Amino acid sequence: MSDFLSGFRISGSGMSAQRARLNTISSNISNINTTRTPEGGPYRRKDIVFEAVQDTKSFGDIVANQNNKADFSQVQVSDIIYDKKAPLMKFEPNHPDANSEGYVAYPNINLMEEMTNMVQATRSYEANVQAIQSTKDMALSALEIGR
Amino acid sequence: MSNLFDKTTDALATSIRMRQLRHNVTSSNIANAETPHYHAKKVDFENALASALEMDNISLSEGGSSNYTEKLSVEAYDNPDVAVNNDGNTVDLEKEMSALAENSIMYKTALQLINKKMAAMKYALGER
Repeated sequence: MSDFLSGFRISGSGMSAQRARLNTISSNISNINTTRTPEGGPYRRKDIVFEAVQDTKSFGDIVANQNNKADFSQVQVSDIIYDKKAPLMKFEPNHPDANSEGYVAYPNINLMEEMTNMVQATRSYEANVQAIQSTKDMALSALEIGR
Repeated sequence: MSNLFDKTTDALATSIRMRQLRHNVTSSNIANAETPHYHAKKVDFENALASALEMDNISLSEGGSSNYTEKLSVEAYDNPDVAVNNDGNTVDLEKEMSALAENSIMYKTALQLINKKMAAMKYALGER
């Protein structure tokens, strides 16, 4: 059974996934110069992994005991991965976090890369908003049948 | 079997049901536009609906009563004519957005038509 509620659920999952991605990007950008973290060492760039999951069955389907497979999938954040690139070493002997040779480990974050990812995430978010808008439009006009 | 709601209304109702399914499939493609290894899904119902209508015609002329239009069911399949991205994803966001817009317009068109049929029926009933 395909209803509008699953449309809302799907687009909603897309929006929250893109928001999570924007959050990691913001975190990467704001920590571009962070040399101290609770786990020690410089900040490491985070990246997010998306995964498609089958849309949950609607209440009606469960009541009707229908076992039909949903054809559409939500998206969810399956993992947050840490970038394995080596940190950038800068020669700053006066820095409190400098090693014995006077080098400080800085996060290996490329600002351009983060900005392009941010634009991409924003666009994807907007696409999902558009889809929800259209779902809402259709559902509301369906309520007008026979008026 | 004569019915208060004729074949056109049945066909329109089926079309609305299918458009809703297609809308959900398109929304899911949009939500998964950046999921690695996700394959864009597609639903085709126009041909199935047309042939169901034809079969209804045949069964009507034979005096049968089976309604093929109402029983029509379709399944989503992986869209074959797509380009695969580097991450194995096959969603073309522009195509999906235009499909979404087109589908929504066609959905509203079917709704309009049903509303007009209802209005005609109400008029015949003498309802103001």
